[in-house]
Amino acid sequence: MITPASTASLSRTGLGWYLYGVAAADEARAPLGARLPAGAAQQVELVAEGPLVGVASRVSLQEFDESALPERLRDGTWLEEKIRAHEQVLERVLEDASVVPCRFCTVYRSEVELRRFLSERREVLQAALDRVRGKVEVGVKAFIDRDRFAAAQAKQNDEIRQLETQVSTAEGGRAYLEGRRLEQRIAAELEGFRGEAADGLHTRLLAAAEDGLALPLQAPELSGREEEMVFNGAYLVTTDRVAFEEALASLGRDLRDDGVDLELTGPWPAYNFVPEELGAE
Amino acid sequence: MSMSEQQALKQQVTLLELVDRVLNKGVVLSGDITLSVADVDLVYVGLRVLLSSVATLEEPREQISATGAAS
Repeated sequence: MITPASTASLSRTGLGWYLYGVAAADEARAPLGARLPAGAAQQVELVAEGPLVGVASRVSLQEFDESALPERLRDGTWLEEKIRAHEQVLERVLEDASVVPCRFCTVYRSEVELRRFLSERREVLQAALDRVRGKVEVGVKAFIDRDRFAAAQAKQNDEIRQLETQVSTAEGGRAYLEGRRLEQRIAAELEGFRGEAADGLHTRLLAAAEDGLALPLQAPELSGREEEMVFNGAYLVTTDRVAFEEALASLGRDLRDDGVDLELTGPWPAYNFVPEELGAE
Repeated sequence: MSMSEQQALKQQVTLLELVDRVLNKGVVLSGDITLSVADVDLVYVGLRVLLSSVATLEEPREQISATGAAS
């Protein structure tokens, strides 16, 4: 099932190993290459070391060398290609196996070094794999549409409805001032609502997931949406995701009237649920 | 926005989701070559070129209130 990788050190030939992630040897299936999109066509191999496999590709050390890397990292096109390849490889592995994803650009100079790592860190890697076994990560973001929020407030809140009436009947400078008051009032309501909605979302989603965490909000110019992001979370969920998606749908219905839309992304390898450091050497 | 612009925007947004994960999360291994914090900063310089096209595709609406800016 598993392609045995050559045991010869390749550093001589200027090739190293780019490690995408680590999976259990009895789950991961090779060959992966045939199932990868053309953009990530480089040969992906499973380097087996005991009960673990490193999901890795031979890469040019010249391309990834410390001295060359800073230059590459400034190259948006190169970055996009490599970042997408990293994800695509892991997504294919994830179809068959649980995987501990590695951070971008983890490269070993030789297969010997890669194998040494897999064997020396076996226990912590195994523990990390156990934590994500049968689970995937999903992302949930919530956006608020200000106009819909304001409309909902006008329905629920007498004071805001009165202010709206005053704005629509006032003229000239008075209309401007009333408009400002209304805006400030809605902004104050939004300020409170934003925190409550985020807390409520996280609590209810966490109850339907194995684990979860709130992530920093993305800036509006990067989120790709006009609406303001009010929540950004990552959850570790069972692969079937049924309970989680039911909870999400129910939350979506509850929040829609207040102008909140939920966005689900994934499934992702469990990037947010693996240890950042693997403990001391 | 045209369809192709929308498509481009969607791809950039997915890229951003990816970047947030593969650069900042995932296990940091004792590889022979790994990205340092300084390297990750460089990545954002590189990506700004890609991601800035998102901002020009669609100017974000002016924030109505002072409390509206997400960080």
